[in-house]
Amino acid sequence: MNAIHTEALTKRYSNGRGCSDVHISVREGEAFGFLGPNGAGKSTFVKMLVGLIFPTEGRASLFGEPAGTVAARRMLGYLPELYRYQEWLTGEEVVRLHAKLVGLGRDETNRRVPELLERVGIGLRSRDRVKNYSKGMQQRLGLACALVGDPRILFLDEPSSAMDPIGRSEVRQLLHELKAQGKTIFLNSHLMEDVESLCDRVALLNNGTVLQQGLVSDVLQQRPVWKLRIGGFAPALLDWLRVETGLELRVVAAESDGSAVLEAQLESEEQAGWLHSLLIGQGATLYESTKSRTKLEEWFVTELAGKSHRGEKL
Amino acid sequence: MSIIWSMTWKELLRKRVALLTALMTIVFLIAFWFIASTLGNEVRDYGLSESDPMFAIEMFARGMMILSLGFFFGAFVVAFLAIFSASSVISGEAELGVMQALMPRPMPRWKWYVGRWLGYVSFGMLYALMLFAAILIIGDIHAGVPRDPMTLVVAYLLFASVVPLLVTLSMLGSTFFSGIGNGVFMTMLYGGGWLGGMIEKLSSQFVSLQEGRAGIGGDSLSNISGLLSLAMPADGLQRMMLDRLFNISGITELVGDNTGGMLMLFGVGAAPAPAFLWYALLYTLVAFGIGAWRFQRKDL
Repeated sequence: MNAIHTEALTKRYSNGRGCSDVHISVREGEAFGFLGPNGAGKSTFVKMLVGLIFPTEGRASLFGEPAGTVAARRMLGYLPELYRYQEWLTGEEVVRLHAKLVGLGRDETNRRVPELLERVGIGLRSRDRVKNYSKGMQQRLGLACALVGDPRILFLDEPSSAMDPIGRSEVRQLLHELKAQGKTIFLNSHLMEDVESLCDRVALLNNGTVLQQGLVSDVLQQRPVWKLRIGGFAPALLDWLRVETGLELRVVAAESDGSAVLEAQLESEEQAGWLHSLLIGQGATLYESTKSRTKLEEWFVTELAGKSHRGEKL
Repeated sequence: MSIIWSMTWKELLRKRVALLTALMTIVFLIAFWFIASTLGNEVRDYGLSESDPMFAIEMFARGMMILSLGFFFGAFVVAFLAIFSASSVISGEAELGVMQALMPRPMPRWKWYVGRWLGYVSFGMLYALMLFAAILIIGDIHAGVPRDPMTLVVAYLLFASVVPLLVTLSMLGSTFFSGIGNGVFMTMLYGGGWLGGMIEKLSSQFVSLQEGRAGIGGDSLSNISGLLSLAMPADGLQRMMLDRLFNISGITELVGDNTGGMLMLFGVGAAPAPAFLWYALLYTLVAFGIGAWRFQRKDL
């Protein structure tokens, strides 16, 4: 069963923003990255799924239940992007309030709340009023609230945007644990490294419409780029290699002492080994050979290059 | 629903709304004590014997004056507490982002709405009860007050009835306007209702302004005050409360207005007909229904 399924989901605002005709399916246990520039409509889409706003057209369901209904909301945890918790409550009281709202019993609440507060890193300050929390602390608290009902699906809208590098790393680790537990994760984030490391599939939204979606591995399927640092380089060697291999080779850097860095797009490690042997056979010295993949960030920038954005410029 | 209800109480206590209200009420009651004392002692200076029926009548008249004064200001305090406690409950919390985390929880929106309403109304009515009792006690110490329990219960219910009315309207307004905008709107609306009540009182005092006095604007004034009272029934309810508490209509018929016109400004004037109470109830129910319906469909 699909954890999330939308058909032509559309929200139109009078200012022309929102999102339109979004078709997305996310399987149970999958981590799904929802990407797009600022103002693309990502948060609008998530708000429709969690029942905060109502679609203008189209349908959405969570585990078969219409999005926004109490039955659908029973299965989700949500960390909004722009939110504030009740400043007059302590962190622990906020999580306890959410525990009551999701229907946890007293014993379960007493067991789960301190455990979660500890897990998200605010155990020591759980008795402080929320008004004294930094933005990063509030984001940790938000994660605890999202997780308190042990939801089947988690909607996280920029879950670590206000955190320091340690906090981000902890959140990344937590999300990997949750994924390993079989939770479905819907992640809105500008932190491409997090999306790349966590998500199985991604969708790219621009101006409210989905430009592309698919497996992260497919998106990054472009041939890996290899960089070879060699000695004894001469321009004639490059010409010979191009003719001999038929590969696209280029010089990234060349020094007067004969050392140089070559770059080639190769299909396999065998092909790399063959290139290495050809270089050595021609009398060159191979100092280093490294493979680098295309980053999701590069894909993001490339896909949106030349397209208009209604938010900020990329 | 009970979770949201208790959360609302906690909010009012933690945000020190209750503390500030209590402090300002104490200041008001201290001032009221001295006013009541001055007005009450004046009767004792008349030199009447306490066994003299005129003394009892004078003391009761002073009691009416004192209580009218007390409830005049008390009504304002209760009204503003009801208005401002609920004025930003929806739009304000949506703007701040508080609802973003709460509303995706598995709870029907109407339960949240009713829970908030119950929280504000129970808080306001409890406060109204304490204020009502304090004003009565001070009035009793310095003059005479009605002691019939049923009369007092009915008077309290009428005094406190503005709380659900104003909380309901304030919550409805909050589905349309921002927190500040709604506060201003509600204050203006309440002021309009109060103005309508004042016109009623003036009309009842000056024969030339009464309905049917053609050429002097009596009909126009009556229409304006009627419309204002319909738009905001709070002042009408307060005048009904004073009328029930003192049975003013009956007393005025019996002994005439012996308060030197003081009741005109702070008192009853022409008390609304009993049907007005049903109108206010229907008004509140309709406003509550529209508010809950709007919140149910509101994008947050």
